[in-house]
Amino acid sequence: MKRLSSSVKTILGSILAVTLLVTLTIFVFKKPKENVSDTSKTLNVLNWTSYIPLEVIKDFEKESGIKINYGTYSSNEELLAKLVSSAEGTYDLVFPSDYMVDLMSSRDMIVPLDKSKLKNLENVSPLFLGQSYDEENKYSLPFLLATTVFLYDSTKLPRLTSYKDLLNEKLKNNLILLDDQRIIIGAMLQATGRPMNDVREDSLEDSLNFFEKLKPNIKAFDSDSPKTFFITKEVDAGLVWNAEALIAVEENPDLKISYPAEGFALSMDNYCLVKGGKNHDAAYLFIDYLLRPDVAQKIVDEYPYISAIKGVDTVPENELIEILNNGSYVENVGADIKKFDKLWAKYK
Amino acid sequence: MINPSRTTIPRGVFERFSQPVPAKTATTRKEKPSLFKTVFTLPIIFYALLLIALPILYVFFLSFLRSDNYGGYLYEFNLENYGEILDSTYLSIFLKSAVIGLATTAICLAISYPFAIFLRGKSERKRNFIMKLIMVPFLTNSLIRTYGLITLLRKNGVINSTLLNLGLIGAPLNLMYNNLGILIGMVYTLLPFMLLPVCSAVSKVDQNLLDAASDLGAGKVQKFFKVYLPLTLQGAFNGSLMVFTPAIGYFFIADVLGGGKAMIIGNLVKNQFLTARNWPLGAALSILLLVITFLLVKLYKKIGGNLDELGGG
Repeated sequence: MKRLSSSVKTILGSILAVTLLVTLTIFVFKKPKENVSDTSKTLNVLNWTSYIPLEVIKDFEKESGIKINYGTYSSNEELLAKLVSSAEGTYDLVFPSDYMVDLMSSRDMIVPLDKSKLKNLENVSPLFLGQSYDEENKYSLPFLLATTVFLYDSTKLPRLTSYKDLLNEKLKNNLILLDDQRIIIGAMLQATGRPMNDVREDSLEDSLNFFEKLKPNIKAFDSDSPKTFFITKEVDAGLVWNAEALIAVEENPDLKISYPAEGFALSMDNYCLVKGGKNHDAAYLFIDYLLRPDVAQKIVDEYPYISAIKGVDTVPENELIEILNNGSYVENVGADIKKFDKLWAKYK
Repeated sequence: MINPSRTTIPRGVFERFSQPVPAKTATTRKEKPSLFKTVFTLPIIFYALLLIALPILYVFFLSFLRSDNYGGYLYEFNLENYGEILDSTYLSIFLKSAVIGLATTAICLAISYPFAIFLRGKSERKRNFIMKLIMVPFLTNSLIRTYGLITLLRKNGVINSTLLNLGLIGAPLNLMYNNLGILIGMVYTLLPFMLLPVCSAVSKVDQNLLDAASDLGAGKVQKFFKVYLPLTLQGAFNGSLMVFTPAIGYFFIADVLGGGKAMIIGNLVKNQFLTARNWPLGAALSILLLVITFLLVKLYKKIGGNLDELGGG
């Protein structure tokens, strides 16, 4: 009797285990439903985190009847990795920054835009067009512009105008920098009078020397939410993205924003269509929707970057021209990226 | 009868069923795993192969390739990535990681022993209750807990404002965005991995030995070094292994509480994948971490450690 029950157990156990295995396998290999359903009604978007308010997406879905599958990334490299590792046709629309547009177009990952499909194209301010990374705007159209700026507490510090001002004794263990190797090494290069994308050994060496002098002042590197450091009064000065700075100023009006005289980083994010995307028509509709001034206004109200759309309340035109003249984009430096990576390890 | 071996398997199974079950001694159990066990371990084996062994092999393979500088790789076999690791810039990061790892381990040991000896004197009910109190916070995601620490440690955080209000300090202490912050975070996150094996080892120490030591005039310090320590060395090593290994890789603690100023091996690996677009170098660094872990486990086995305890804590 005992033996029988043990053999029954064995058989039952085997059945159970096999069922478990089969169900697991089915779960693992089963394709998500969205992909099999009507593809003409779904648009697969991959965008930066905290960049388009949910409300804007919902409004578009209601207006057009198109469902948006919205994925996010937090760096251009993450976007690149996601595109490289996913099957063709997974994504339709992405928002790479300047140098990544250049890289992706040179590697045939994005397709030329058919601008005749965009009714609202004329809303794009010409100041944003024809940038160095895509001079004819063949592959990209500008969405938002970010710049690095100084943010400082005006009650404690005189106006910051140069990177050398960051060496101020008062800023000991009191400064925050973005945790981004290209931006910060670029800033140190600019501080020593070199171009931001300089890869010559002696220039990089100089940047390291300047950084060593600055080091005692640095409290932290943070790219996720540097504004928090100002809101909680952890630091009195920093080099941060403009939108972060504006949000911090709203919280604390004593904080002031200024631009480094030696130059600063620009980062322009763009609409690009992924090669092999299944629903480019819906992507054009969505881009056209985002090109509307009222929609663009809603976006910058929530995330105060500089909109590429005319008539949106961001910075005055003369200031914008100055920003575009004095700022530099991070450039794709090919294999020299290894130099930056090693230098960053030395920095830290 | 195309394939005779196909028929022999079920026959063998039924033969086994019809035979009297042999007495379950340790040796027979090892020799003949029952079908029941085989079937139930299959999913685990399948899982381990597919999700652990295969990816590690892939990482190993990747570490011999060359980066194409665009996040991809070229299939050119080379050892350059391993050569690169030996660069002085990277070596200094390994050294820093090792120092942070060792300091974390030492602090965890220093906290765990007195606690374990204290716990040993309590009744079982109290012991279970206290252990539960320790474990409950660790059911929360460690990244969230790390962010939680910020509210305590920052310049205007709970600790600094309390101390300032009590007049104990004149200016806020720098508790985070430095190496101290990293240490606090590491110790806080990894302490249970030390507490569990050390408590279990200390609770197993024979009371008679302690009594004998007391009778012979040993004080608390002597009892610790002559009785507790030698008898619980395995547990301590077990815990050290499980604290040191993650401590050199937990990049998020170095980022969040160290203010991103200190780079440990974990940050270096992360950077290769996420910013430098150099997956082969990242893979080689990961293999290095695996080798370090492997060597430590070897050492653990050599001093007589039990691998099962390592897994179960």
